[in-house]
Amino acid sequence: MDKDEKFFKAMGDKISSRIDKKRRFYFNVKNEDLREVVDYLFKTMGCRLSTATGIEMYHGLEILYHFSDDDTGTYFCPRVVIKDKEHPKVKSIVPIVKGAEWIERELFDFWGIEFEDHPRMERLLALHHPQNLKEPMRFGRDS
Amino acid sequence: MGWYNKRLAKSLWVFHVSGSPCNNCDIEILDLITPAFDVERFGLKLVGSIRHADVLLVTGIFNQKIAPRIKKIYEQAPKPIFVVAVGTCMSGDCCFKDSYNKVKKREDIIPIDLYIPGCPPKPEAMIAGVVKLIGVLNG
Amino acid sequence: MIANSIPIGPFHPLLEEAEYFELKVDGETVVDIDMEIGWMHRGHEFISEMKTFTQSIYLVERICGICSTSHPIACVHAIEDIDNIEIPIRAKYIRTLVGELERIHSHLLWLGLAGHFIGYDTLWMWVWRYREPVLQMFEIISGNRNHYGMMRIGGVAKDVDPASIPDLAKIFDMLGKKMAMLAGAVKDDPVLRSRLKGVGVLSYDDAVAYCATGPTSRASGVRGDVRKDESTDAYGLVEFDEIVLPNGDVYDKLVLRVLEVIESVKICRQCLEKLKEIKGPILNDVKEISPGEGIGRYEAPRGEVFHYIRSDGSNRPIRHKVRAPSFVNIPTYTASCKGIPVADVLITLASIDPCYCCTERSLKVVNKENDPCLIDLLKISREKTERIRREINGSK
Ligand code: SF4
Repeated sequence: MDKDEKFFKAMGDKISSRIDKKRRFYFNVKNEDLREVVDYLFKTMGCRLSTATGIEMYHGLEILYHFSDDDTGTYFCPRVVIKDKEHPKVKSIVPIVKGAEWIERELFDFWGIEFEDHPRMERLLALHHPQNLKEPMRFGRDS
Repeated sequence: MGWYNKRLAKSLWVFHVSGSPCNNCDIEILDLITPAFDVERFGLKLVGSIRHADVLLVTGIFNQKIAPRIKKIYEQAPKPIFVVAVGTCMSGDCCFKDSYNKVKKREDIIPIDLYIPGCPPKPEAMIAGVVKLIGVLNG
Repeated sequence: MIANSIPIGPFHPLLEEAEYFELKVDGETVVDIDMEIGWMHRGHEFISEMKTFTQSIYLVERICGICSTSHPIACVHAIEDIDNIEIPIRAKYIRTLVGELERIHSHLLWLGLAGHFIGYDTLWMWVWRYREPVLQMFEIISGNRNHYGMMRIGGVAKDVDPASIPDLAKIFDMLGKKMAMLAGAVKDDPVLRSRLKGVGVLSYDDAVAYCATGPTSRASGVRGDVRKDESTDAYGLVEFDEIVLPNGDVYDKLVLRVLEVIESVKICRQCLEKLKEIKGPILNDVKEISPGEGIGRYEAPRGEVFHYIRSDGSNRPIRHKVRAPSFVNIPTYTASCKGIPVADVLITLASIDPCYCCTERSLKVVNKENDPCLIDLLKISREKTERIRREINGSK
């Protein structure tokens, strides 16, 4: 059995709205299940976290994690949708993937998404910004 | 100043700062001191501290975080200091004119004496610019 | 233990992302390192979302001057990934040729600077002299020394002139010979070896945990090369080896880069041979991008460049995410800088090739008796090399 089939079987109904493309899988996971899915991807399958993308949509904020399986060149992209745009909160995956620390700080900086249990929830790019920005970088600034 | 400038023109010492460039202008500046172009024959020398410099080479669009630091560097420089702006980023905004993080006007932060346009300018263009500066100093 | 801190920066010109480092030291040993970035933030993603797809290719070229063709390649891959657009075979070879040429020039640049940091200015001048013909080749192929503007959705913008191929081949012959010589010199030099061996080690586990990419992780024994994994463009059609070295220290990173340059020259030669035979178009006309999302990546000289583009069917992206390789490589400093003497910090910081490094920096070291003295990082680094050189020469 292929790795990806095994993965989708193991995760079962934790995964919804799955989109398959050539060597790319996009799927939704809930905030509660995120850690489990990430744990399977990172520890069991040995995937590497490429990055995470924040997207603002009409229905809320989306975080799309990109896990790369380096042996087959496949991407697994779990997507977490946050309805609450004012105070977005997601579970941090830093306890599982150490390399996610900066990635999550960057998301906090751009979109104001707070990560629970993050060891150092600070701005990344706008730390000590001379204008003392209150808002996330991508909102409320005139160009 | 004419007397002083003439002495200065014989050997300009250059300090180079980058204010949010794409880095290519900086590489081309470094290229200048390697054997292919070798500007040291004009007496130009890249120095490691602003306190030794006569010319300040700046690149980039200056984002809001770095702008106060560049101002500080300019203030630390012994005067007279000549500011040479390298690249389209400095003279126009290049493709970053819509950026939310750049300063409105770079000339408010430091006065600029000479612009060298190009993205990045060819080393030959930079040499031409610097030679012009030397020509002006010589009167 | 009293830890003192040394600030470095922010005008530590690690230029792509000029940074502020704070080293916590105990005597001569670094116990912790903290980093702050954001000095170079220009809001590329935001600007790109206001531009059309074709325009954003030229915009991403200006993210970094050294990887100025890796970003466009990753960007067009992402757009092509949305619709599974195929590109003509001749365009594939041209893309690969330009990409590999960039790897050669970037690795040579790093080699030179690494030599500069440890006090080998001869190496610096020497290597940068061989870099100049590479830039000339770029000028022959694309018309510009940097920022080539070669990539388009569905192909490339400019063709390689068949009349120029013999000239290019001649330069490659020269480069191949010089690189073999350089590899020999690097491997045999006792000073380089004892100066860099065992310095700034990034272990296998750390490289995996921090998700490092490119030469940084490959020198620690982690395999992973986008060129092999995805085989996009002509990488499936040419022969080359993926180089993985086991130790994870600076010396291995140096050797790995030299070997990669040799591989790149090999790939370029094969591309040139093919370009002589294959005729045909270089650009497929793409009218429309349908709604959807695409991921594109490319092995830049520093690691994996990642672009994510989401389209809603109009002519501009609604989200464009860019992740440069240094973004994941820089946090590995936390692992590799701990426990090494201050003299080795500079070359360790430079070893991941954070785009381009450093002129001199004066910094303040507070020694045990707490009287401040000014020490220069570059000077410390060079003095150590000098000491090792004397020891080696003395023992002969
Ligand atoms: S002018 Fe062009 S090459 Fe120079 S820093 Fe700006 S974008 Fe880069």
